[in-house]
Amino acid sequence: MRHQHLLLRPLHQLALVAAALILGGCAANHEWPEKREGSGARPEHRTLEDIPFHAQDAYQCGPAALSTMLNARDIPATPDELVDRVYLPERGGTLQVEMVSAARERGLLVYPLEGSLDALMQEIAAGNPVLVMQNLALEWWPQWHFAVVIGYDREASEVILHTDTRRAHAEPMRPFMNSWKRADYWARVMVPPDQLPATAQPLPWLSAASDLEATGQLEAARRAYKTALTEWPDEPAPRFGLGNVAYAMDRPGPALTHFQQLTRTHPQMAPAWNNLTVLLSEQGCAIAARRVHDCARKTLGDEAELPERPALRETRRATTACPIIRCPER
Amino acid sequence: MRHTRLPIRQIAFIQILAMLFLACAPLMAQADMVSTDSVVAEQKLDHDRDELKSMLQKQEVQQTLERMGVSQEQVEQRINSLTPQELADFNQQLAEAPTGESVVGVIAFFVFVFIVTDMLCATNIFSFVRCIN
Repeated sequence: MRHQHLLLRPLHQLALVAAALILGGCAANHEWPEKREGSGARPEHRTLEDIPFHAQDAYQCGPAALSTMLNARDIPATPDELVDRVYLPERGGTLQVEMVSAARERGLLVYPLEGSLDALMQEIAAGNPVLVMQNLALEWWPQWHFAVVIGYDREASEVILHTDTRRAHAEPMRPFMNSWKRADYWARVMVPPDQLPATAQPLPWLSAASDLEATGQLEAARRAYKTALTEWPDEPAPRFGLGNVAYAMDRPGPALTHFQQLTRTHPQMAPAWNNLTVLLSEQGCAIAARRVHDCARKTLGDEAELPERPALRETRRATTACPIIRCPER
Repeated sequence: MRHTRLPIRQIAFIQILAMLFLACAPLMAQADMVSTDSVVAEQKLDHDRDELKSMLQKQEVQQTLERMGVSQEQVEQRINSLTPQELADFNQQLAEAPTGESVVGVIAFFVFVFIVTDMLCATNIFSFVRCIN
């Protein structure tokens, strides 16, 4: 994060050589992934040409890297504007969590990338720049740094980065991998919530989507769950998320539909039964809520954790048409 | 006669009503919606567990564990009682270990789990590990 790392460079290179001599085989041997044919094939080299670059001011690699990531998604931002949001003057740097939450505030889904060269190549090939953290110095004397990977060249064995004051800087692959490894291979892709990263897996995507939901980015969360539902139609969590978002947006009708459908497609999913019961009770559909509760008990068995059976009190007039509940057949 | 009987009925009726309300009182507690993140976290936990258990299915791993006197049931039981954080940590360590998915890595992992749990008195498999308490 600090600019002085440029001055320290010869020193840590020396230290690294010394360490390498002492430790011998301990250093990880980073290789390019095996070449593949057909659908799994990756281009030999690729650089995303149209990613805007912001040179960092002293110490401020965080705001610079973040504005690059935001601009890549057509969200206007400059490092100066972001300094107040993500830069901690007394620490002389930016925390990872601030980078992530600042992007989330702007409606982007922050996807944690698997820390491998192969994943990096796949995302670049798909046109997604990757925010990475590096430790430019040593484990016990860290020099943290944020940069944006915008390309790679397998032939020349280089990773192309927007970093510090250098636009599209070509860094030899091995030192890059070592510095990335010392930062635990921290990497994030920031995408609009209806665009899956190339390496997206259901659980990390859903977890990132639920982070959007939990921080009140309901519309972004809704889009992210919808994307997940299209991509992984057998997963229950996307529809569950859609139900919860609809509920949070005060749209009981769609919420009801989602939870009801879940209890049919995934009858063993206790949280779906729970939320359907709660929702129906709140809507004044006491009879339907009790019926749902009975169905849940029947389907899940006596051991399942369920809320109390809703009381039969029709004090509030039903705000939506109360559905007729049929238990799933066993 | 009439004057004494009627109030008793009414009182009984009121009492029945009161008892009904008492019985209903605990049901008034509002249940909460389950959040999406807790559902996803639960799924992730299952996924991590399954992943570990699938490694256990490898024959070489089973044979080696058997030779060490550890049954598969013991290991599975142990996996089930790991906290989400422990599971995630272990899975990550396994993924990052240079041996990767190799048998050595998996066995090293299970031995590690058992030494830790032996120390915490949860298991007693290695006689050389002294329990903390």
